Amino acid sequence: MIGLPHYLLVGSALFGIGAFGALTRRNAIAVLLSVELMLNAANLNFLAFWRFLDATAMEAHVFVLIGLTVAAAEAALGLAIVLNVYREFGTVNLDEIAELRG
Amino acid sequence: MSANLGTIAFLSLTVLTIVPALMVVSTRNLVHAGFWMLPCLIGVAGFYALLEAHFFVVVQVLIYIGAILVLIMFALMLTRDVMNPKERQTNGLGAVAGGLCGLGLLATAHLLFRHPWPAGDAVPASAHDQTVALGRALVTRYVLPFEAASILLLAALIAAIVIAKSLRPPDRPAGCDGERQGA
Repeated sequence: MIGLPHYLLVGSALFGIGAFGALTRRNAIAVLLSVELMLNAANLNFLAFWRFLDATAMEAHVFVLIGLTVAAAEAALGLAIVLNVYREFGTVNLDEIAELRG
Repeated sequence: MSANLGTIAFLSLTVLTIVPALMVVSTRNLVHAGFWMLPCLIGVAGFYALLEAHFFVVVQVLIYIGAILVLIMFALMLTRDVMNPKERQTNGLGAVAGGLCGLGLLATAHLLFRHPWPAGDAVPASAHDQTVALGRALVTRYVLPFEAASILLLAALIAAIVIAKSLRPPDRPAGCDGERQGA
């Protein structure tokens, strides 16, 4: 029978994959994609806790809604910054953008 | 839903989510990585359906797939070398990051299955009642986070316009070591 730990395991797997992508990818947009994976994992965990711990509470729904808002704002702003960086440096590879490196 | 059918649905959704997620972080072609994100997000929406959070199934498809993913695809296509198979797409951290994430995942799995979780036999409300309750909660008890989210969206909206507009004139050569324009 599928219970709470199975959902949480899928959530942590998704988070681990996203963290791996965020750490290893060179392209800034690919890093943003990985961050979206991690945000999805967090939302999945919230709803799993809601379903199996207290299905009448509204906290998880509010958290997920705020999380979605943050994800949307992050994507819009992150991509605006990435496009600006691209026009400034001609690349979005994070290891080639070393302007601020001391 | 019978227990057996639920297990089959859970396992197929796990495959539908995890395999594309691995492709997203490993494929060299970044446009393909963006497209691999699609089945992954649909899988997460399927998990929401399995958890009977009906409202968020729709929200996931509308916002994640309909808005965020399309935005990311546009940004991918506006930059160059995303489909070049010769372009190196990873830094040298693969082994370290893989070991770290794998170790974290193993530790989490170990802790998860040792903890005595409650059975979770509570039955969630119907889709209609859930959505009504969420709407009520957002204008009564949780009105402050709701307004904070509105302000966040407004700030992101203005900031995106400001960032996109504050480019220096295009006639100056890019990449020169002159001053960078302020915000």
